[in-house]
Amino acid sequence: MSSEFVVGYDGSETADAALRAALTLGKELGAKIVVAFGYFPNPVGGEVLDYAKALEEHGRAVLAQAEERARDEGVELEPVLVEEKPAQGLVDLARERDARAIIIGTHGEGPIRGALIGSTAHKLIHLADRPVLVVPR
Amino acid sequence: MSSVTAESAQTTEPTLKKNAITFISNVVIGVASTAPGYSLAATLGLIAAVAGLGVQAPAIIIISFIPMLCIAAAYYYMNRADPDCGTTFAWVTKAMGPKLGWLGGWGIIAADILVMPSLAYVAGNYTFLLFGWDSAANNKWAVLAVGVAWIAVMTLICYLGTELSARTQQILLSIEVFTLALFAVVALVKVYTQNPAGSSHPSLSWFNPFAISSISALTGGVLLGIFIYWGWDSCVSVNEETEDSGTAPGRAAVISTFLLVGIYLLVAVAAQAFAGTKTLANNPDDIFAPIGSAVLGGGLDKLLIISVLTSASASTQTTILPTARASLSMARHGAIPKIFARIHPRHLTPDVSTIYMGVASCLLLVVLTFWDQNLIFDAFTALGLMIAFYYGITGFACAIYYRRELTRSVKNFFFIGVLPVAGGLMLTAVLVKSLFDITKPDSGYAGPLFGVGAPFFIAMVAIVLGGVLLVLCMARYREFFRRTPETAPPDLVARSPAGHESPA
Repeated sequence: MSSEFVVGYDGSETADAALRAALTLGKELGAKIVVAFGYFPNPVGGEVLDYAKALEEHGRAVLAQAEERARDEGVELEPVLVEEKPAQGLVDLARERDARAIIIGTHGEGPIRGALIGSTAHKLIHLADRPVLVVPR
Repeated sequence: MSSVTAESAQTTEPTLKKNAITFISNVVIGVASTAPGYSLAATLGLIAAVAGLGVQAPAIIIISFIPMLCIAAAYYYMNRADPDCGTTFAWVTKAMGPKLGWLGGWGIIAADILVMPSLAYVAGNYTFLLFGWDSAANNKWAVLAVGVAWIAVMTLICYLGTELSARTQQILLSIEVFTLALFAVVALVKVYTQNPAGSSHPSLSWFNPFAISSISALTGGVLLGIFIYWGWDSCVSVNEETEDSGTAPGRAAVISTFLLVGIYLLVAVAAQAFAGTKTLANNPDDIFAPIGSAVLGGGLDKLLIISVLTSASASTQTTILPTARASLSMARHGAIPKIFARIHPRHLTPDVSTIYMGVASCLLLVVLTFWDQNLIFDAFTALGLMIAFYYGITGFACAIYYRRELTRSVKNFFFIGVLPVAGGLMLTAVLVKSLFDITKPDSGYAGPLFGVGAPFFIAMVAIVLGGVLLVLCMARYREFFRRTPETAPPDLVARSPAGHESPA
């Protein structure tokens, strides 16, 4: 097992909470943080690549924010863009890196909202083959 | 693999990990984007109503597919040049310059907006029919209210993100295809065993395009017929993204094509055999309502209503999504205001484009309903012109862009030159012929508007509006409009983007 932690980060308030928790862990354990921005340009609707590029640009900007935070904290951080549905993407990435754990924010999705548009945290818990740390806002 | 230490001042280039689409989802995308249930409900009656066409609706369905196949070749090769996945806008800009490219993009957006009122009308109508509330289904204000609500809900889903809806679309599509097949088989069995009133046995002449009595009947029919295949190209466009892209995309495109043509022919023949062309022609807005219960009966007819309802709602979605992405694309190329390229930080959808699309569709539905509800069907006729325009121009763009490569091999000449140009010419012929036809004052369901047929008037409004917006954008987005046409780099055809060489 590597000493890396994989963090799902989309720039939202709850993702910030997850990143904070990850940076604290990274600092205390001297572990590297792999920050992933997951996006899935749904092919239904065509015109996939321009949309994917727009999402990618957005993802880069979001990851740059995370990097800045890590620099301030003095933690080693690697940004990764994952063009896959976020939950599955995080699971795959964590497996690929043999990460210690996956860290993610709750996104504050209530049960109903979660059921309607899908809660990444909820899906992740069922998909993951390693510890998942879910950080509330 | 890139990593960054705390000391490094520069931002690291993030690693990029690509997703892949499975074979099944590629087939689903191809079929779902065309929305077979809704397309049939909304188009078959209109085709049967074309003067002089008689019993040849199945022939029209076959004939209409030919130009689509030709244009698919153009899509395939332009996708190699610029994998923009379906943007006529980007491809035509490359091949024929920014002005035509811009108009091609406008053609997509205008067609998508023009189809929304009739989608919403079908959705509204069928919602009431599902609950057996026929008086409300016949009340245009009630249908308007529910139609607006449908557009709003589907716009909201597109705004929120489409992961859930993409998954449910697979389920919806299965229900839709199963029900249509059930309807067709039961109808045909009843035709042969019970001879219901008005029924007739199918005959081979129904499939014979040469039995169509006049050219105007043929073009009128094809103009409607190309609509039922509209959206099929998205299956070709997502090819490059597919898992096992060496063979899967080709097969997926072929399978969804056979599925579509098969469903269309089966249902068209069954409906026509069971009810006769008169009943179909008298119910242009929806052919299943009058015959559904007679065919399936005993509660099962509700299945058919659900099938069309799911198809219409899925179709609303597969209309909003590409429009929003077309305007996103145009905004990213600097051809329209940047705000249309905005991505919602949380939902990761092109939110501004999506909402504008929803609002424009609702406005059009409201205006048409207030003016004359029949205009909804005339808008539908008019949108065929937009589709013919942007599909056709894509065909020409392909041959123009690759003009220096055409003589390199027989294969190049045929697939990159002959097929796309033939498709372009066929669609141009249909467009010109039907433009003349719909100028006739009596050509629409609504009465003549300002002395011309209502569909012509609607098409002209769309074209003039496009022209005005083009001029405004030309004044404002000089940099984009300074672009000059390009030709294909010499090695482009030989270079196979996804490891396969022959077209889908």
